[in-house]
Amino acid sequence: MSDDYGRLVGELHTRRKKNLAMGGAEKVDKQHQRGKLTVRERLELLYDPGTFVELGLLASQQSLRGAEADPDGTPADGVVTGHGEIEGRQVWVIAYDFTVMAGSMGAVGEQFKAARVRELALRYRKPIVWLLDSAGARIQEAAGSTFAGTGWLFAEQVVMSGVIPQVAAMLGPCAAGTAYIPGLADFVPMVKDTSSMALGGARLVKAATGEDVTDHDMGGSQVHCYESGVGDNEVANDEECIATVRRFLSYLPSSNTEPAPFVETGDPAERLVEGLDKIVPVNPRAAYDVRKVVRAIFDHESWFEVKPTWAKNIVIGFARAGGHAVGVVANQPMQKGGALDSDAADKAARFIRMCDAFNVPLVYLMDVPGFMVGSQVEKEGIIRHGAKMLYATSEATVPKVTVIMRKAYGAGYYVMNGKGYQPDTIVAWPFAEISVMGPEGAVNIIFNKQVEASENPEATRAQLVETIRAQINPYLAAGWAMIDDVIDPAETRRVIIKGIEQARDKKIDRPWRKHGNIPV
Amino acid sequence: MTEVKAELVGSVWKVKTQAGAQVAEEDELLVLESMKMEIPVTAPRAGTVKEVRVKEGEVVKEGQVLVVLE
Repeated sequence: MSDDYGRLVGELHTRRKKNLAMGGAEKVDKQHQRGKLTVRERLELLYDPGTFVELGLLASQQSLRGAEADPDGTPADGVVTGHGEIEGRQVWVIAYDFTVMAGSMGAVGEQFKAARVRELALRYRKPIVWLLDSAGARIQEAAGSTFAGTGWLFAEQVVMSGVIPQVAAMLGPCAAGTAYIPGLADFVPMVKDTSSMALGGARLVKAATGEDVTDHDMGGSQVHCYESGVGDNEVANDEECIATVRRFLSYLPSSNTEPAPFVETGDPAERLVEGLDKIVPVNPRAAYDVRKVVRAIFDHESWFEVKPTWAKNIVIGFARAGGHAVGVVANQPMQKGGALDSDAADKAARFIRMCDAFNVPLVYLMDVPGFMVGSQVEKEGIIRHGAKMLYATSEATVPKVTVIMRKAYGAGYYVMNGKGYQPDTIVAWPFAEISVMGPEGAVNIIFNKQVEASENPEATRAQLVETIRAQINPYLAAGWAMIDDVIDPAETRRVIIKGIEQARDKKIDRPWRKHGNIPV
Repeated sequence: MTEVKAELVGSVWKVKTQAGAQVAEEDELLVLESMKMEIPVTAPRAGTVKEVRVKEGEVVKEGQVLVVLE
């Protein structure tokens, strides 16, 4: 009897040990040689020590429709699932194991293990993280018309969208339809060189179109974090990627039913912002790096930029203001003069909606010469893209604070949360310029004939420009009480924090509708 | 060889380099004017300026090559 007991319990431990060893020493070595960590090393970094609880360790490939299965060679069926804590808060994970059949998504791993994680994360309203390092669907199990029954994971992701935060960390390949996992996620860090994503992998592309391209050239971080905007932050390696995931989640609540977490940072709310005079030129034509302004205003070391290498003419990211998590939307005069274009509008709109969904207040730092104009941007559909940002800013009901630092021109002023978009606080710096267009453009339109008729057109133009410039200073808008105040830039931090706290109990009721029709 | 291209449509306001000049990464090569802004164009890497392909006052398109580094 006791022999049986020992033998049976011993068998359990043997089975566990085998599956914890993943695809075996050789495959693990290969994973390391590729510059990647194993799935279990990654999980150790992801979670607070000792908090990981695994579900489905003993799973493996099972025989399907009489096809041959290899349960012995497929520990955990190539995906590690479960939950653990990040900074003491529960987070669920679906982590692919490249050492087992290249992390391919099989029936057991996908339809039972991953599905269970999605179900429980949503049931408990906790964030979900995918650690992606997978060849994609396991074709041996998926080819054939039973494909008809697959794919509901994306529908589930859409249901989760805006309810629980979703992170897709790209730590290896993510080919074919599974690339829609990051496509639908809220945050997508990508490891340089080792990660890639594409709707069709290199071999499929060759077969379908004849194009010769590698997975890396087609879908590496150099494409998605710089050109396509599908990836968010390029990171150097697995360690940095996972640290970035933890950092991202620190600014968000576990779900949309909670407030964004408050973290005492020790940076006084009353602190005056020093050094802005050395960062921001009063000459409205001169460029500067707005990220220096952001770092100076918000809590020390709290700035976490998102999508830093794509559509750089707008800067977005999280920071803390007196401990409150905030989403920052700032024009970047250093890139394209800070003018908004299609990609910038897309980037901002999606970020604004994420913040709004997860109760993160928004801070707009405005210095915008307007939307780009001209034939090229019209061909790109800038009206449609710009409308997304207009839509997102209008729709957002979280506390919203607007600081007009310098330029506030045209529709740029609107999408950066101008007065018409229900800012809870809207203030301007003394050298702010608010107008439908710049003085030069206005003179060209209003006084064109007068300038042409003048004996000295350039002098007349310059004089008229100065006349108009005097009208665009912020005191006219403040005189009309269209903005709440003109402030010393040094007071910006205090004004932002007060603005967020003032709006803490904000409640906005809008007419019932199924959903709006954002111009996607 | 690296081609430095205009990131947006605009006019060349100031050319601040010339063929043969040694530049460091981030050095200002020229300044474009567009959307009421002076937009500095910097060297993406250190190198020697092989060619400046535009003149002051010239209107450039997005993607047009301004300077060639080697």
